[in-house]
This record gives sequence, C-alpha cells and structure tokens, in this order.
Amino acid sequence: MTADLALDLRGVRKSYPGFTLKDVSFALPRGVIGGLIGPNGSGKTTIIKLIMNLIRREAGEIRVFGLDNRAAEVEVKSRIGFVYDVPGFWDDQSLDSQRRALGAFYPRWSDETFHRLAGEFDLPLDKKYKALSHGAKTKFALAMALSHGADLLIMDEPTAGLDPIFRRDLLRRLSALLQEEGKSILFSTHITSDLERVADVITFIRGGEIVFSLTRDELLDGWAIVRGDDRVVRELDPRVVRGVKHRAFGVDALVSDGAAVRRALGARAVVDKVTLDDVMVLMTGEARHAA
Amino acid sequence: MLRNALRKDLLLNARHLWGILPWFLWVAYAMSEPDAGRITAVGAAFIGALMAATIAAREDKLRTTATLASLPVSRRTLVEARYLVAYIVGAATYLVVVVMAAALPWSVQRAAELVEARTLLLTLTLASMAIALLMPVVIRYGLLGVMVFLGAFQLLGVGVMVAFEFLGSRSGVGVFSAIERGIVALHRGLGQPVVILETAAVVALATWLSFRLSVFLAWRREL
Repeated sequence: MTADLALDLRGVRKSYPGFTLKDVSFALPRGVIGGLIGPNGSGKTTIIKLIMNLIRREAGEIRVFGLDNRAAEVEVKSRIGFVYDVPGFWDDQSLDSQRRALGAFYPRWSDETFHRLAGEFDLPLDKKYKALSHGAKTKFALAMALSHGADLLIMDEPTAGLDPIFRRDLLRRLSALLQEEGKSILFSTHITSDLERVADVITFIRGGEIVFSLTRDELLDGWAIVRGDDRVVRELDPRVVRGVKHRAFGVDALVSDGAAVRRALGARAVVDKVTLDDVMVLMTGEARHAA
Repeated sequence: MLRNALRKDLLLNARHLWGILPWFLWVAYAMSEPDAGRITAVGAAFIGALMAATIAAREDKLRTTATLASLPVSRRTLVEARYLVAYIVGAATYLVVVVMAAALPWSVQRAAELVEARTLLLTLTLASMAIALLMPVVIRYGLLGVMVFLGAFQLLGVGVMVAFEFLGSRSGVGVFSAIERGIVALHRGLGQPVVILETAAVVALATWLSFRLSVFLAWRREL
C-alpha cells in the first residue's frame, strides 16, 4: 500500500524550544502535486527538512516510495529532487563546475537534460553562482533538481522571488512533468494562486499541526464562504464552521460543507465558492496572492 | 560515492585551497636558509592539512551543508572525504616543498633529506594529530568552531606563558622550546622501530577516535 504512495508521513513529531510539530500525518500518492500551505512558522520547512533527513524526527515514520527515509537514505535521496527556499551552492564557482561536481552523485543524472533546462532558463553556465540574481539562483536549483530523473520533487517556496511569467512557466512545466513522466511533487508556498493552478492535494498546517489534507476539488468545491450577519452565522452547525471573520457590515464564515449550508440557509445568506486565499485569511488571518 | 565526494571537495573548494599559496612564498624564501628545509616542509604539510580540514567551515558559511546532506550520499562518506582531502592536500603541499627544495636555484636544501623516512613519519604524525583534533570541531561547529579552536589555542599559549612568568619557575618561552625539543626528539626517535610502532599506534588511535566522533557529530547535526 505504501509503495503506491510517493510520500507517507505518520505521527511525525519534532520539537524545538517554543514550537512542536505534533504527530503530523499525511500522504502524497504517486503522480500527484501536493501543496503545503500555512502561515509563517507553522512547520512547513520543518516537514520538508524531516523528509530530507536534515533534522532528526523524535517520533513517527516517514516513507518515500515505501522506503524509510533514514534506513534507505541514499536510495531515497537519489529519487528526490530538492529546491530549498534559500538555495545553497558554492558562491565562487561557476554553474558548470557545480553541475560536474554534484551531478556525479546521481545514478540517473542527465547532462543533456541539464543543458536543455539551462538554455530554457537562460542560465549562464560559465558565470559564478554569486553573480546570479535570486530568481536565477532558484532556476539553477530547479535545473539541478530536474536533471537526475527524480521521481519526487520536494520544493520549499520554489516560486518566491520568481517573476510572474517564469512562475507560470514553472508551474506549467511541473504539471507537464506529472502528466508526461508520472512524477510526484510536494511544494510549500505562501502564494496560494500557484497552488490553485496546479496542486491536486492541499495540506494545510498551522501551529505544527495538520489542519486538513484534501484534494483541490474537495476543498474548492466542497467548502464555501457564508456572508451574512451574526445571526445567520450563529445558525450554522459549529462542526462545519472552520473560521470566522468580522467585517464592517457583517460576518464571513468559512464552512467545510458548502452544499449542506446552502440547503440550510436558502436565500437568507450569500454562500460563495472559496479560494485558497479565503481559506488562508479565514483560518490564519494572513494570505498572499500573486498574479 | 567516496570518489564523488572527494572530487566535489577538490573541485568546488579549489579557491579555498589556493589560500595555501602565500605560504609557498615563505617556503621559497626559506629555501635559502641553511637547516630550514625540514621544518619548512613539515610546516607546509601541517598548514596544507589544516587548510583542507577547514573546508567544512567554508561550506557552512556558504550554506551548502544542507545541499550536501540532501545528495544521495551518506554523511559518513562525506566525513571520510573530508579526512582524505586533508591528507591528500597535506601530502601534496609537502611534495611541492620537496620539488622547490630540489629545483629553486637559490635553494641550499638537500631534497633527499626531506624524503627520508623519519621526516616523512614526523610530518604524518603532526599533520594527523592536527587533523584529528580540528576535524570534529569543524564538522560540528563550522567556521565558528575553527575560530574558537584556534582562539582557544592562542589563549592556552598565552595562559601558559603568563602562568610560568607568574610562578617564576622559568620563562614561559621555555614551554615552546620544550615543544620544539620534543618534536626534535620525536624526529630522532622515529629512526627506531619501537618508537615508530608506538607513534603509529597513537596516531592511528587518535585518528580513529576523531573519525568516529566526527561521523557521530555529523549524524547528530541538524541542518
């Protein structure tokens, strides 16, 4: 069963002073794009570091393609392409030197793919890494991650710092990878519009706990926003109310069963479809939407 | 994989290793000084090994440690490569001094003296002990570790000198003379099989302990 999953986290726990990732469990099926969203400090990067075994978990289990990420670390990592929010490469070395040195670690490394991507991304291979802009650094990290036939891409805020045109292109490319080659992708982001475009599964984390892990359709078609006054919101079944925000002339309530609420309220309130922005705002009080 | 890790260390940290070059200016000068050959060669290998041992500190500074730990290679292999690179660079530096001793027109050194077994063993001993001491600190604490390590030695030296002066038993400078005499005595002793075996055992034990500790610290380290 777990071999059908690209990623399977069960009861994963990690503590820092003032923060605990509490028994996190979620799964990413093969061939699926998963988005990890949540406010700053919610634990998104901690989850990614735990999957990559950069930090040690205190409890739980992490399996990548059915393999324990610690016991089979080398095999697991040979199948993962990674992009971190602050890409770490050798400042004073050319991109090509880094390609030669790092590509050698991967059994399925393809110079042909790397050079094709470098061309498409306009990466100057003879330039030193430090001479690149932040966006170009991320593009280089992406080219490295996509050039060794990884079955799973793990990316921490990969679109931050990229211009909208390249971001759209990247998301299109990620979708194509999925369709053409059956890859799986997990990425964390603040930019909810990116997730709406491509994510199949959305996992929301807050305060170190998974709040939900749903398919995009379950979330965007199943959830809804009720716009009305206090009286209407008080009528709602508290089990489906996931967040409330008071406005100057009324209240917005996020509900996890839009159809039932529409039936119950009829014409007494406006029940709108949700966007991920709405979910972020109503559940955390923050959101960041980009074009 | 070890080969890839070694290649990576040498390819991506070449600029760091070029930091040894200024030392060769001193070596070039010292070649004209009588009796300076051995100490210069031993010192060069020592400096070369230390410079290579601090590669991890540089990578820490560049934030590439997490990138390395994400590659399909075990942290143990990365640590093995660190030790090997330190030995390789130390040996290469020594070799350059030997070539300079033989080739520089103003050299008054006899290159043959530098390749005799006693001198090579002494160099290996001192470089190995330096690597064994420094490597776990660098692997665990990075650049900060190097600074604290070197700073601690400076303070230790100053403290010893002050203590001896304060006690008035003898000059603190005498401590360093004693260290020098110890090294000379070790060099002399390394002509005897028993001393060679004893020294080899101590170096092997120290290196093994240091390596085990470094692997443990690298495994424990959170990135």
